[in-house]
This record gives sequence, structure tokens and C-alpha cells, in this order.
Amino acid sequence: MMRRAHIAIFLGAALLALLLAGCSVVSKTPSVPPKHPEELPAGRVNCLECHENVSTGSLKPYGTFRHSRIFINSHGTYARQSQRLCASCHAPSFCQTCHAGKEEIKPNVKMGDRPDRMAPHRGDYLIAHRIDGRLDPGSCFRCHGNKNDAVCRQCHR
Amino acid sequence: MGEGTVGRLFLERRNRVCLLVAAILLLPIAAPAVADAMDLKLSSRTYGLIYERERPGGTKDRFAPLFEYLSTDLENVGGKNVSFHFYGWGRVDLADDTGTDGTSGEIGSAYAEYLHPEGNAQAKLGRFFLTEGAAMDTIDGAFVKMTTPVGLGVSLFGGIPVEYSEIPGRENGDSLYGGRVFFARSGRIELGVSYLKEEGSIRETDRELFGGDLWLQVIRGVELTGQAFYNDATHGMAYQRYALRVVPGATVDVSAGFESYDYKDLFGATLNPAFAFPFLRQEDDVNSIFAIVDWEFMKGWTLEVVGKRIMHDLANPGDATRGEVGLRHIYNKNMDVMGFSTAFVAADLPENEYREFRAFGTWSREKLRLTLDALAQDFEQRIAGKALAFQVVGTAGYRFLKALQLSGSLIWTDSPTLDKDVTGLVRLSYDLSATLGGKK
Repeated sequence: MMRRAHIAIFLGAALLALLLAGCSVVSKTPSVPPKHPEELPAGRVNCLECHENVSTGSLKPYGTFRHSRIFINSHGTYARQSQRLCASCHAPSFCQTCHAGKEEIKPNVKMGDRPDRMAPHRGDYLIAHRIDGRLDPGSCFRCHGNKNDAVCRQCHR
Repeated sequence: MGEGTVGRLFLERRNRVCLLVAAILLLPIAAPAVADAMDLKLSSRTYGLIYERERPGGTKDRFAPLFEYLSTDLENVGGKNVSFHFYGWGRVDLADDTGTDGTSGEIGSAYAEYLHPEGNAQAKLGRFFLTEGAAMDTIDGAFVKMTTPVGLGVSLFGGIPVEYSEIPGRENGDSLYGGRVFFARSGRIELGVSYLKEEGSIRETDRELFGGDLWLQVIRGVELTGQAFYNDATHGMAYQRYALRVVPGATVDVSAGFESYDYKDLFGATLNPAFAFPFLRQEDDVNSIFAIVDWEFMKGWTLEVVGKRIMHDLANPGDATRGEVGLRHIYNKNMDVMGFSTAFVAADLPENEYREFRAFGTWSREKLRLTLDALAQDFEQRIAGKALAFQVVGTAGYRFLKALQLSGSLIWTDSPTLDKDVTGLVRLSYDLSATLGGKK
């Protein structure tokens, strides 16, 4: 009961804040634009080639979104704070290229013509996944944990 | 309530949601005044796979699944910040069944979105993939978010989770809701606390998570990120990750950090049996330290060095160290890339040790594009009598029109489970971008 009360307080406070904000106090700071104002060139883009400062929309420096190996490894951390900046350059379906509810083609097969992309599960991953799954199952869980994958269930019954 | 009743209720509710989504998507067509001006993006990807697999006993199945992935975005509807998005895929088997009934598919997303020009205020309605604090889920529902002038912000979401359990009567959770309260100051900090609850009979207990997230710029070019989830169903800290990242300029990126998770608390509410006993022993937990360097030491040449030390409580699977060094060269005006990498896993148990070598490259001239990707793995302990695994993926593509490209891949694999296997893939890509109407 106490837990439910805490949750109710939390949600109530959030709703109250939302109502207050909805009345008149939405920040006047410009939002992240729905799409990049200029057409971007093909290939991997580095924001720092044009921008030096902090993005008024995302409130983070452009350097934060440099698409290095580090950013790609931890992109979920940034996406959990705001998906909106991602959608400014990537189509909304871009995330679901990998993060689909159910998926039957491995990302690296689907994107076999894009070896530059860090598509997971290269090679005959049926073999290597045993080792990766034993050593660091948390890295698998991010994508596969919250769904009952038919592919996984062929063996994991 | 019997399983049949639950199933019927689920289907009725799902049908209502699909009708609602369809109505939302038809709105711009049904209302000519709104449909006067909008940007249309249509993307189609058709994949045809051909391969054989040997069954126990020696007979062979021949598979030829045909996949269609379709995404549509209607943006700037009526000159406003209103948009509609759709993404879905379907599969039909042209030869032996790869799954059930020779067909499969899903609607990944179908939603309406409003993006307010100020305060990052936004709203979504329909089916969408949501990453917000503790949530990384696809839901049929609604999401709203906004920031106030003092930097406080709030987001709320709620709906029906979209999941694909194969356990009868457990197709779906009943409801998923939560929110995030955060504080953000430009260029300095974003700190958030979040909550997620999923109710229903899909699991033994409800899924209930409290989350915390942090982005802090300590000084210019140095940032600290943190992410933590507390599992209220198991009363334990499920996951923590903290990293210090240094981005001194456009060419160097360095990060180091710590990650920790407890099997019982992280996997406690999983839907996937691969994360449950007997495949994983729930009393284990993992602590890791990691470091990554991404350095463009010369224009177009990038060095990547990755190291991770994984420490388990249990002697089996034991501890391990994974290291990787890679070099990547981008050329031809960012159109092409070539690179190689070598990686190793050194572990307490020899069954967890392997080495990996990869080389890849692309070559584009006018309408032609060729790619090659080769991977070799050397396992310390033989698996099914083999210590080596190889895969080579070769692709040739040709752009017939600006919006239309055809490519084909051959995937050759020799591994402990696949003996000199060849898979063919034909890929047809179509991308249309147009502005409809003129009253923007």
C-alpha cells in the first residue's frame, strides 16, 4: 500500500507539473528542429564540422553527439534523455531497424551493403553468442530482454 | 479469467487500437484543408533471401523468404509541426516455411506527432518506440513532454505494451505507464528521475522500475554520464552505468567508466527465457570497467581502441577481458570506407576465449557500389570439432534511378554449425521524397 501511495504521489506531482507547464510556463527556448535546416551530405556526419557551441534545442554541446565509437556504444543513454534530437536527422523508423518488436533478419545481413555501420551479430553469431551471453548477458538484454523472441525460443525453451 | 477470455479481450482491444491508428493516418487525406501542404517520405526495402539448411537425418530444407519493409512519413502537415509516421514489415515464404504459416510481420509504429517550436514540448499518439528514462518499449498509447523556463521538465506516457510472447494467454501486458521528471540547464546538466510500471499477467509479477539518468558537463569538453535502474519488484538495483567522456575537439573522443548489474534484478522481469534459469544462474552479478578511444589522427583515418574487463561473482563463467583495435579510413568524399579490426577475449575459462579478425571495404563509382566484409574467429576450445569460423559477405549494387537501387549479396559461411554455407540476398531499395500541395 505504501508503495502504491508513493507512486500515486509521484504521478500526481508529474501531472501537476504538466498542468502548470501547459497553462503558460513552457520554456521559450527554441526546440530541436523537426529536421536539420539544411540537407546533410551523405556518409557519417560530424556536427563539429559546422557547429562549435551548445545546441539550443538539445541543451547539450554538439560535441556530445559526435558519432564516434563511444557515442554509438552508449547512444541509448542519450536517447533515453531525448529521442527528439535523433529524429532531427534520422527517420523515426531508424531506431527500429534494430530495435524492432520482432525481427527475423539479422541487422548485419539486412545491411550487408553497409559494413561501415556497427551492425551487431556478424558472422555465424549462433556460435559467438554463447560466449558473449555467458560473459556479458546484460549487453544482450538491452535489445532482447523485454520480448519473447521466437528465434531465441527455438533453443531457449 | 480463462486464457481464452484473456485472448479475446486482448484481440478486441488490439483491434480498437489498430482502428484508431488507421483513423489517425487517414486524417490528412480525409481533411483536404489540412492535406494541402505536407512533406512525404516513402521508403521501401525489399529483401529476398535464398538458402538451404540441413535437417537432422540429412534431408535439406530450401528457404526463400521475401521481406518487405515499408516506412512512410508525412511531415509538416498543413505547414504545422504535425506529422504522421508508419513503419512495418511483412514476410512471405516462397519455398519451405521459415516460421509459422509461411507469413509473418508487424506494425512497428503508426503514430501522429506534434512538435512544439519551443521548450521541446511534444506529443505522440498511436504506436511508437519510446526511449524515455526507464522506458525502452514500443507501446500503443500516448506520450507528452515539455520543459519549463526554469529548466524543469516532465514527460508522461501510458498505453498498452506491444510485446510478442509465445506463451498462450500471455501475449501482452495489460498496461504500461510512467513518466520522467528532469532538470536541464543549457550546456551544464540534465538530471532525470523516471518511473515505469507494466501490469498484466504476462509475467509472474508486474514490471516496476525506478530510473535515474545524468548528463553533466564538468568542464568544456569533459562530461559525466550516469544511468541506473532500481527494480522494485525484486527490491534491488538492476543496472548502473557511469562514464567519463572527454571530447576535446572534433577529432578525439575518449571514455572510461564502470558498469554493474545483478542478474536477479536485471533479468527478474524478463520475457525472454534465454535470460532465465537454467540458461543463466540468477545468483550471479557483473561488474565491468571499460575504456574506449576514438581518434581521427589524420583526416579520414580513425583509430579505435576498446577494452573491457568483465568480473563475475561466480567462478563459472568467471572473469574475462575483451580488447579490440581497429583502423578505419573514410574516402571518396565520405561515400566509401575501409577498415580492419582485431579483437580478443581472454577469460578464466578456456571455453570463453576467442580471437576475431575483420576486414571490410566499400568502393563506389557513379551508379555502381561494391562492398566486401570478411570475418574470422578462432575459438580457444573447439566447438563441434571446429576451432575456426569464417564469413565473407560480398555485395554489388547499382543505382538505376536517384530513388531506386538494386543490390545483391552472397554470404559464405564456414563455422561449427554451418559447413561452407552460401546464402543469397537480393535487396531492392526505393526512397521517395516529395512535397505535396502548396499552401505551406
